[in-house]
Amino acid sequence: MIPETLKTSLEARVASAITPREAAVDVMKELQTHYGWLTDEAVGEAAVLLGLSPLQVEELATFYEMIYRRPVGKKVIHVCDSISCWCADCDTIIQYLKDKLGVGLGGTTADGVFTLIPCCCMGMCGDSPAMSVGGVPYGKLTPELVDKILEAERNNG
Amino acid sequence: MPKLIIDDIPVEVAPGTSVLEAARSVGITIPHFCYHPALAIAAACRLCAVKLLDGPVKGIQMSCALPAQDGMVVSTTDPEALKMRALVIEWLMLNHPHDCPVCDEGGECLLQDFTIAGGHSRRRYQGKKRTFQNQYLGEGIHHEMNRCIECYRCVRFYQDYAGGTDFGVTGSAGRVYFGRFQEGQLESPFSGNLVDICPTGVFTDKTGRFRARYWDYQFAPSVCQHCSVGCNTSPQNFQRETIKIVGRRNDQVNGWFICDRARFDKGYLNDPQRPREPRLDGATCGYDVAVDAAAKSIAEFVRKNGADSLAVVGSPRLSLEAMILLARLARAAGGARICYFGDAAQQQGSVAAARLLHEENSAHIREIEQAQWVALHALDLIEEAPMLALAVRKAFLAGAQIFLVDGNPIPERNTPPFKYAAVESLDDVPFEGGGKGIVICGAGRKDPELLAHIASSGAKLVILQPGANGFAAGLLAQEHATSPLTELVAARQVRGVVCFEADVPEGLLSGLEVLASADWRRGPVEAKSPIFLPTTTWVESDGTAINYEGRAQRFQRSRVAGLPLKGLDPKYYGSATEAVTLHPPRVHRKDIPGGAERDAWQVMAQLIVRLGGEPVVEPLAGKWSALRSLDPEGEGVRIFDIVSGE
Ligand code: SF4
Ligand code: SF4
Ligand code: FES
Ligand code: FES
Repeated sequence: MIPETLKTSLEARVASAITPREAAVDVMKELQTHYGWLTDEAVGEAAVLLGLSPLQVEELATFYEMIYRRPVGKKVIHVCDSISCWCADCDTIIQYLKDKLGVGLGGTTADGVFTLIPCCCMGMCGDSPAMSVGGVPYGKLTPELVDKILEAERNNG
Repeated sequence: MPKLIIDDIPVEVAPGTSVLEAARSVGITIPHFCYHPALAIAAACRLCAVKLLDGPVKGIQMSCALPAQDGMVVSTTDPEALKMRALVIEWLMLNHPHDCPVCDEGGECLLQDFTIAGGHSRRRYQGKKRTFQNQYLGEGIHHEMNRCIECYRCVRFYQDYAGGTDFGVTGSAGRVYFGRFQEGQLESPFSGNLVDICPTGVFTDKTGRFRARYWDYQFAPSVCQHCSVGCNTSPQNFQRETIKIVGRRNDQVNGWFICDRARFDKGYLNDPQRPREPRLDGATCGYDVAVDAAAKSIAEFVRKNGADSLAVVGSPRLSLEAMILLARLARAAGGARICYFGDAAQQQGSVAAARLLHEENSAHIREIEQAQWVALHALDLIEEAPMLALAVRKAFLAGAQIFLVDGNPIPERNTPPFKYAAVESLDDVPFEGGGKGIVICGAGRKDPELLAHIASSGAKLVILQPGANGFAAGLLAQEHATSPLTELVAARQVRGVVCFEADVPEGLLSGLEVLASADWRRGPVEAKSPIFLPTTTWVESDGTAINYEGRAQRFQRSRVAGLPLKGLDPKYYGSATEAVTLHPPRVHRKDIPGGAERDAWQVMAQLIVRLGGEPVVEPLAGKWSALRSLDPEGEGVRIFDIVSGE
């Protein structure tokens, strides 16, 4: 169950939208922040707030890769495997991340800090290969840089 | 009117017509999956490529999403277009399991047809295929997600067209999944159309799974008999069993679709307990013996009590043919009374509809779809005329206002797929302009005065009938000035009845002598009747039905009468009377077990002759003869001219 304050603020967000659906992503992200991921319960709550059916929320939730319908670690790593990054040999970076974190794509590290997910084009093609960690973008990745980023991200928050 | 050239054929089409439809209008079928005439364009499958050689647009284009324009020169056979289609098919089929011999869709699958038509016949892909978990979608529909080619037809129908909210598309890219949030019964009362609309075998009719292939079926054009909308269907039968019922297109009545009641409510047709043998005083007998006995009993009763105290009773379940003969039978019996309705309230509404409706004020489906406002008068639309709810939804989506006038709260399971305002009386509905407004009345409360009031308002009318052929019953009840059975009995005018597929109100039977009855189902009348004549259902008979808007439609026999082979009583394997163990037949017989049923009108025709009446050559006589040539595959005809012609 979400707290009253969150509920009220989300209701206001929905009310200010031209169509409720337009507020769906915001609502899902807020609920995700609250629960850590978008739980089934959260889907139900979003549905009530938006006046949609749970399935209709699920349609949106599973479309956007930043909405997590399964438990994730504290920080999610989105590593790009799309065309520009692929040309810049993101395969090496991805393999390096897997080895380093000891998880496969979709996996969460044993300490629960990182979840590794591939993504398609983050709009950083010019700086490929690219990834984001907990929402912070990083480009021109090399294994050394990855080490530093992981170290820093692990230590702050 | 855009003029264009397709494969050297000049074509002229209405503005807004797509190139795919323009090609189809001259007999060229461009392979397609996602395109469906009833649904909005999605251009999701990328299969319908054509090449534009000249004109305002050039090069390879998706023909379903390209409006025909003046001066276009289109090639559907250009090598580049052909190549594109073959390659698109190839990748659409990448994850398809190719297990056609075991797929229940076999023989009815658009995928097979267009895969071959699209030029892809050899699989090159060697990798692993994507697989999905199927969901339980209820007792009607089976889910087989691996066959999906992502044409989005199902979700476009389910949510956009039918207004369902519990089924849709989740995921993205290679994980796109068509299903529900959680397993469970599909909620839309139109969910069965997924079977017809999906071009592959993702959704199949669970109630008829793996029983037969398309080419095994016996089928014929038929008309749904579950309510007075009269949607067109095609019952598919195998070995005297109705396996599936699918929708049949009729743009004037139901478009492409039918409701779930029509599709799934079919057990009664196959019921081995259906009364199938003629009976005389509790013992099985030959049909002619029973007819003779019935005629004798009628004649005797009339001699003793006068024809006046006898009623021949029908119901809106009868075909028009049988209803017409019912009156002739009454005459042959010396002037017996005729009842088309047991219940007075039902007759009142039906007759009022027959009297008030005419060519101009009777709304048909297109007009409902285009209405500016619709008033549902004391009505649960999903209960009484499900398919009209989709028409009202179309109007609603186009901006029409919908009112529920004087209605009871609609039960949740019947929530219609549109928003409406509940108002107390018709005065609260803005009638201005009238012409584009429609009042839909339920069979429940049809006060003739109220109906007359509405009819005088200038609004168009839909008056739903109690039963599939209620309009015909109302017409004939009016023509012969008949009274409902309840009234005749209350006035002590009738003491004996002969019933044909009649639903006699409860409590009425105790004071009545049932001389004979004919029906395809069991019930209190049948139980009380000393002479019983089994009749055929609408799948086993030819006939005509008149729907709520006065449209006569012909339905054709889609299978012979008789017990379904499946579940056949073991007694038929050895002897006609004694039960024996299961074994192949030892006794050869020419007649079909349980196949003695006859159409109700034929039973009446035989009785008429026995009672000294003129033999019936053709039940559609007199003014009705105009309906003899009615094409079962056509759109039907409205009968107002025919009726007023005499
Ligand atoms: S389930 Fe059928 S109708 Fe729906 S997208 Fe897949 S192939 Fe098309
Ligand atoms: S709306 Fe009525 S006639 Fe049409 S399919 Fe449903 S039950 Fe049959
Ligand atoms: S392809 Fe990787 S950021 Fe665009
Ligand atoms: S039919 Fe044209 S893209 Fe699918």
